[in-house]
Amino acid sequence: MGKRLKNAVRTASAGATAAIIGLSSISAVHAGGHTKGKGAGENYTPTVWIDPDGCEHWVMDDGWEGYMTPHVTRQGIPVCHRGNTCAVMNSDQLFATNSHRLNHAGHQALMNFFRSAGATSYIIAGHTDSRASDEYNMRLSLNRANSVASVAQQAGVRIADVRGYGERMPRASNGTHHGMAQNRRVEIICIR
Amino acid sequence: MKLLKGAALIGLAFSLAGCIDDKKDKTVDRGFDSKHLSELKAGIWIDPNGCDHWIIDDGVEGYLSQRLDKYGKPVCSGAAPPNTAIGPFKSGSPVADPI
Repeated sequence: MGKRLKNAVRTASAGATAAIIGLSSISAVHAGGHTKGKGAGENYTPTVWIDPDGCEHWVMDDGWEGYMTPHVTRQGIPVCHRGNTCAVMNSDQLFATNSHRLNHAGHQALMNFFRSAGATSYIIAGHTDSRASDEYNMRLSLNRANSVASVAQQAGVRIADVRGYGERMPRASNGTHHGMAQNRRVEIICIR
Repeated sequence: MKLLKGAALIGLAFSLAGCIDDKKDKTVDRGFDSKHLSELKAGIWIDPNGCDHWIIDDGVEGYLSQRLDKYGKPVCSGAAPPNTAIGPFKSGSPVADPI
């Protein structure tokens, strides 16, 4: 039994080795005369270009052609040196608990903000703390973002996007009251 | 004037020929408008869906890269209509661009 298993493993690993050799010979053909050893590709080390938003891009110039692509983490989040977030509104000052109806002072503050910010357009993203269910928080944060967007519309500015991230993008720990308060927020990104 | 043009053409031929060999350092633009690539000047190209991309026309090379917000989503600013480009994207190189 044990012997048979060992043989099976040996057969499988031999197959895998064959597959790897097959792959590397394909890449050797593909890379032409530039192959520097088994599996080695041509050196294409990029440098970094920083866009006007402050975010990094990989850039290369191989003589004839130029190449560029955004520098994002493995989670797909761009690597930036500064953000375009131009306002983080504390939800507690805009809404009652579990409500997405703006209070009078909050409405006024948002109106003043959108009239004076002077950006090309705005992305509005709502967030909650981690109490209640994920589904409920997704809905509440989107409803709150939409309430803020309606003020933007009244102020006559352009809205690029409205989103609710619920509790999925915390900026502080949900383990403390202070952290949770920081997580209850509506972020406004100004696109210039 | 004619002489100048001729010299420029010879210069162009030389620098283009220089590009044919295996260029080792991919982080610099070389030849007559050489510079480090971090100095590129971008404009914005708006794709058919209305979303923004950084566009750079660096004389011989062209670059295009997505404009993303802090969450990694496309930025669709509405700054100009789809299929148009705005901003100083052709200003990074002294090389005249025929296209």
